[in-house]
Amino acid sequence: METNRSANRNRDRGAEPRRSSYRSVRRPVLAMAALLAVLAPSATACGALTPGSAADSGRPRTVPRSTAVPAGDITLKLTFADAPAMVDALIAAFHKKHPNITVEPSYTQFADYVKSVKLTMASDNAPDLAQFAVGMDDIAARGDILDLAPYRDAYGWRAKFPAASLDQLTGSGRRAASGGHLYGVPAGLSMTGVYYNKELAKKAGIAHPPRTLREFEGQLAAVKKAGMTPLGVGALDSGGLHLWAELVNTMMPPKDYRDWVKGAPGATIKTAGTLAATKTLAAWSREGYLDESANGTAQVDSTGQFTRGGSVFLINGNWAAGQLSEAMGKKAGFFLMPGARPHARAVTSGFSVSYAISSRTRHPQAAGAFLDFLGSPEATRIVSANGFLPPDEKAVPMPGGLLGEVARAHRRVTADDGMNHFPDFTAPNMLDPLRAGVQKLIAGRVTPSAYLDALQKVWARQHTTRERARTG
Amino acid sequence: MNTQVRTRPGPGTRRAGRRGRAAWRGYLYVLPALAVYLLFAVLPALHSAYLSLFDWDGVTLGSWTGLDNYREVFADPALRGSVLNALILVVFFAFLPILAGLAMTGLLILPGTSAAGAPRRRPGMGAFRLLFMLPQVVPLVAVGVTWRWLYGDDGLINETLDGLGLGGWSRAWLGDFDWALVAVGIVGAWVLSGLCMMLFLSGVQKIDPQLYEAARLDGAGPVREFVSVTLPQLRGELAVALTVTTVAALAGFDIVYVTTGGGPGEETTVPGLLVYRLAFSDGRVGLASALGVVLSLLILVLVYVINRLSRPQT
Repeated sequence: METNRSANRNRDRGAEPRRSSYRSVRRPVLAMAALLAVLAPSATACGALTPGSAADSGRPRTVPRSTAVPAGDITLKLTFADAPAMVDALIAAFHKKHPNITVEPSYTQFADYVKSVKLTMASDNAPDLAQFAVGMDDIAARGDILDLAPYRDAYGWRAKFPAASLDQLTGSGRRAASGGHLYGVPAGLSMTGVYYNKELAKKAGIAHPPRTLREFEGQLAAVKKAGMTPLGVGALDSGGLHLWAELVNTMMPPKDYRDWVKGAPGATIKTAGTLAATKTLAAWSREGYLDESANGTAQVDSTGQFTRGGSVFLINGNWAAGQLSEAMGKKAGFFLMPGARPHARAVTSGFSVSYAISSRTRHPQAAGAFLDFLGSPEATRIVSANGFLPPDEKAVPMPGGLLGEVARAHRRVTADDGMNHFPDFTAPNMLDPLRAGVQKLIAGRVTPSAYLDALQKVWARQHTTRERARTG
Repeated sequence: MNTQVRTRPGPGTRRAGRRGRAAWRGYLYVLPALAVYLLFAVLPALHSAYLSLFDWDGVTLGSWTGLDNYREVFADPALRGSVLNALILVVFFAFLPILAGLAMTGLLILPGTSAAGAPRRRPGMGAFRLLFMLPQVVPLVAVGVTWRWLYGDDGLINETLDGLGLGGWSRAWLGDFDWALVAVGIVGAWVLSGLCMMLFLSGVQKIDPQLYEAARLDGAGPVREFVSVTLPQLRGELAVALTVTTVAALAGFDIVYVTTGGGPGEETTVPGLLVYRLAFSDGRVGLASALGVVLSLLILVLVYVINRLSRPQT
């Protein structure tokens, strides 16, 4: 931001060059440089000028162990970035149940939300509730959001929410390893998988979804041979990393993968399994199994092309199911990326739209009541109606068609405890190396092992230096 | 511009006392503007220079690291590569638009020069100006989205290539490792050509008609006239155009952010994008500031060189 401003300044100067002013400009510049030179060492000496502020140890770190909901009029502020319609409906239903508690939502577009949430939660007038996002683990470490573990036990959340979706909200590093903490509660769940066009698949001689990865490879080859594009991938943005993560899910033990995402000491992505997965992705690209313009296609565009028959298979998440079901009806199907053996453990990538409580809130109990409400049958119906997978699937009737296929796949994943984080949850700056790295893999511009090295380097920066600084 | 240099009062012409007081009073007049400039331009710039000496995530307490961030700017191949990309973009953002602007100016001015000696406007000049200036008026984000669609797999450019029987050339331009930077550069050239043309057109109108008359009497044709009269007289405008477009290329962010996000790989990653990403996604405000400072210095040097070169030799 600062550079933009100074660049503008240069531009203004450039637009009307006053050559006569060169000489006179030089003196203030020198003066400023001198000022800077004086400021810099004194800052290190006294620390008052050091940017940022230390964590405030006076604030509570956990919620109280009580499910009592206070009386009297209470207003809770909620900041969020996903599914405004769902949030509005949830808030209205919650208000009906607790008329004295009003939740005021404030919506920010996702990309901006992720960038600003750290500052928002650190400010003195932070909102009471905030949607959980990448980087929240750092916020938890700083003590800006409350540890919800006492509520989990008091409200009995372990029975209301799938274990995997709670496990994803337990912080990172040492905090996660202890397993005792909880920093968010899920409303709607998300999950990735493979969509396929049943009509086109039949033309290529494919009768049913693949049961093993090898069978899937055979199907991709068959589609290629039939002269169609096998797999649509929107690798211009996040489609590529979804494909990579799906392949990793089938070849890396979930426990090792989760340790890596959570920053457990000694965890690594450089394993034989992930190398094989990465090589598979590169090989698929070489064989022409991926859409040849994958690197120039955004996720939404790859989805659009799939609805028009532009590819037989498509990598995407359950968030696309509504659109695909509407556009293609019974033609569209869904399956999870198959494992090495038939009936292998169902593992896929996913996360939740979930919410955390600020440690600056004056109403932790009212906020706790809102989070508990997310596990209620009313909330489940709202979540499901808005295209997310509900935490408690038995509370809603099984939908038909494509949505039903997605829901059934999700039940398998829940039953197998197979929900892995998206890989970018490893570190706030992991998204770009993943996106750029998969693009290079697709274009054959990086070797699989160099790609994994680059990811591990980002991991190390996040989980060794920071962790040391925090605890030291 | 030249007059400013000439009319500047020579030093030492008045008595020292009066001169001192006059100078003091002069600063008083400048004070309001200076205060705003200091507060909103100089101080923030200095503040980021100061932040560049810290390892700071934007929230928690930063720690002093001295010049480590600068060392990383020069050592990290990804950061160096982004500067290189920006320098390549200068070709597209500065040289192409200036050539295009000159060509358009030549075409719009030349045919009318004969009658009274002065460059006359071609009929429909207003419409041309509006048309070529339009890219400047449209928000850059809208420009980026439109071009992303044009470059798309089944976008207009590929459709046209297919229609011409050049289907072998069609590709996802923004996702192609060899072509993405060129594709982004062309967007910039398209945006900035109109601006250059406007600058040159306004410059041409200030040229003394007698120069054209003299050239004509010496038997110069339209091309000779353009090269010998119009072009040298546009020296100042050329300097301005080169400065503005070079800064746009080096400090650019929006077009890249909207079209490619820096991809594929790091092929179109520019420093502006990295500054944003480092500061707001990666929580490395110090490194982002250091990169910003280096970028600003690079721009200052280039702008200085441009202005130096464009000064008329006497």
